Amino acid sequence: MIEAQNITFRYPGAETAALSEVSVEFPRDAISAIVGESGSGKTTLMMCLGRFIRPAQGQALYDRTDVFDIPEHAFRQRLGMVFQKLYLFPHLTVLENMTLAMRHAFGRDRRETDQEAEAMLERLGIAEILDRYPSQISGGQAQRAAIARGLLLRPDYMLLDEPTSALDARTTDAFAEWLRSLKDQTNFIVVTHDILFARRAADRGVCLMNGQIASEGPIEEALSRLHLNEK
Amino acid sequence: MKIIRNLFSLIAARTVVWGVLLAGFAMIGTAAEDGTQDPLRIALTGRYPPFSFYNTQGELDGFDVAVSRAVAERLNRPLDIVTTEWDGILAGLLAGRYDAIIGSMAVTPQREEVVHFSEPYYLSGAQLFIHRDRRGEIPGIDRIEGLRIGVVVGETYEQYLREHHAEHVRVVTYDDTQLIFQDLIHGRLDGFLSDRLVGAWQIRAAGAPFLPAGDMLYEERIAIPVALENTALLASINMALADMRASGALDRLFDRWFGLPDGHDDPNASAASPESMTFALALRFLLKGFALTLLVAAASLTLGFLASIPVGIVLNLSGGPVRALTRGVVDFIRGTPVLIQLFFVYYGWGMIPVIGMSLSPLAASILTLSVNSAAYMAEVVRSGLMSVDPGQRLAGRAIGLSPVQVFRLIVWPQAFRIAMPSLMNSVVALIKDTALISVVTVSELISNVRSVVSVTYNPIYYLLAAVLFFMVTFPLMKLAGQLEARMRAKGFDHD
Repeated sequence: MIEAQNITFRYPGAETAALSEVSVEFPRDAISAIVGESGSGKTTLMMCLGRFIRPAQGQALYDRTDVFDIPEHAFRQRLGMVFQKLYLFPHLTVLENMTLAMRHAFGRDRRETDQEAEAMLERLGIAEILDRYPSQISGGQAQRAAIARGLLLRPDYMLLDEPTSALDARTTDAFAEWLRSLKDQTNFIVVTHDILFARRAADRGVCLMNGQIASEGPIEEALSRLHLNEK
Repeated sequence: MKIIRNLFSLIAARTVVWGVLLAGFAMIGTAAEDGTQDPLRIALTGRYPPFSFYNTQGELDGFDVAVSRAVAERLNRPLDIVTTEWDGILAGLLAGRYDAIIGSMAVTPQREEVVHFSEPYYLSGAQLFIHRDRRGEIPGIDRIEGLRIGVVVGETYEQYLREHHAEHVRVVTYDDTQLIFQDLIHGRLDGFLSDRLVGAWQIRAAGAPFLPAGDMLYEERIAIPVALENTALLASINMALADMRASGALDRLFDRWFGLPDGHDDPNASAASPESMTFALALRFLLKGFALTLLVAAASLTLGFLASIPVGIVLNLSGGPVRALTRGVVDFIRGTPVLIQLFFVYYGWGMIPVIGMSLSPLAASILTLSVNSAAYMAEVVRSGLMSVDPGQRLAGRAIGLSPVQVFRLIVWPQAFRIAMPSLMNSVVALIKDTALISVVTVSELISNVRSVVSVTYNPIYYLLAAVLFFMVTFPLMKLAGQLEARMRAKGFDHD
């Protein structure tokens, strides 16, 4: 299980803390959503959970171990991350993007990884973009390719930062369905400001306001409590 | 002046030390081999017909070359002729790059302060030459105001004019005689001051429309300088010259180049008037030079590029002493002329205490150009690295790649593609910069084309040399343009 334990973090030079004393759990077998407006601290929380930021106080735990006590290489294999801007590698084809880490970070054989990647793209319904470059595919395809790249490493958890920012309302719904269809693959944690998307895609929710937890629990509950708080 | 003299004595002192060491090495060398003598290294310009020039066979020829051969023969040492610019010829002697200069150097008090001269091997003098068409107009150097007079940089005539005729003469300096002749023909000069013999020979050999005007301005003793401490060599050269004088060998050489068969001044009669170099030969000579040009360019580019990657990475660091130092060095290299750097490396490298060993002309050229291109390419590499989105590194780390793998597999390939068009432009710039290395005696294209023009009098060869350069640089420039277009199409400038 991934959890935040009493995390406080302040960016250098900032007057207020981006996160103050945040404690929250992300159980397995559920899609979790971290919901909040921009500046609420949700991206900072994600960077802490993803071992990119070391909190000033408190810690991010993976199965009860501080993430910074787990060797980075081993940790990256358990927790995948897809950033808002996706960061597909523009000089590589989609297939090469997907197999790069398997081959170089985990020393897997090329033929084997190619087959796995093809099977994955097939399953995600984007097999036709295999040999294209990131600049030659649509935003939606890029979104799926970036998630596929992470899924291939068979992570225990996968963090998605604002996955719907480039999608319109109709494709957002389709994307939520698609994500739910992948529940057997990994445990997703989505960071989003889109409440409608969170409601459709997630089982549980954590709502952040001004660096603190405003509400938490099963998604409908968490969101309705948030609305009550706002009123 | 004092500083210069101190510098010279410093150079001389170092030369002594190294001379002793080198002599030691030389003795070990000769003992180890089968008793063969060290070659006698003689410097001349190779661009001062009829004293030294490349003949129709593309070989060095001329009176000074013949004297060099005769001297070496009498010293019983193999001859090694080094062609170098007149401008730095004395500095090269002081730096120990050659043993003596047989390049028609006049004895002057200033020169005698830094070198020892042999007995003169011929006498000549300063003569004003003018265009034939202005025969009546310019009777002599001091009879008319505001004459534009050409001289070669570093020759005694320049100083003479500035000391004695500064008020009514405008001195125009040139790198070599050849350029003076062309400007006189084109009317950009009123006349030139040169050696009496050279002028006479030029008129004959080239059918150049020049005439002597007035009397000889002064007489010069032409002799062979050696380094001050090299008294043994000076003595043997003097003995060789004495022998040549006594046996009549020197007179015969002089007659061969300057003697007039029937005693009167017939401009077309010469014992050794060189025919013009054929086009095929000239072209072969140019191509040979160009091959060397390309070799130097390729070597410098390879070394420079390899060096530019770590330098570019360091420049991209956010701070620290290593970055500050690197930044300073790169800025210094980019902010100073390549020519000066080249002179420093060529003449000054041996004076750096730790290194102490001077570089061959080719090594000095490749070193200078490599360092120079490394500095320029490092900037390109730096900006290439900077334009890779930092998120790319983050994404690389997120999928489990190590920092080194992230750089090698993700950041560098993108930075390189972004930098490629600018790198191509650096390549073109460097290829053109090779033109400078002719000044340190590398016989590349520029040096060779000047030699060709100095015997053919045909400036079209300059154009031919330019075309050779263009044949290589043009495809590179095209390639840079295409790469840039393709890069934009692939969307590398954004994510």
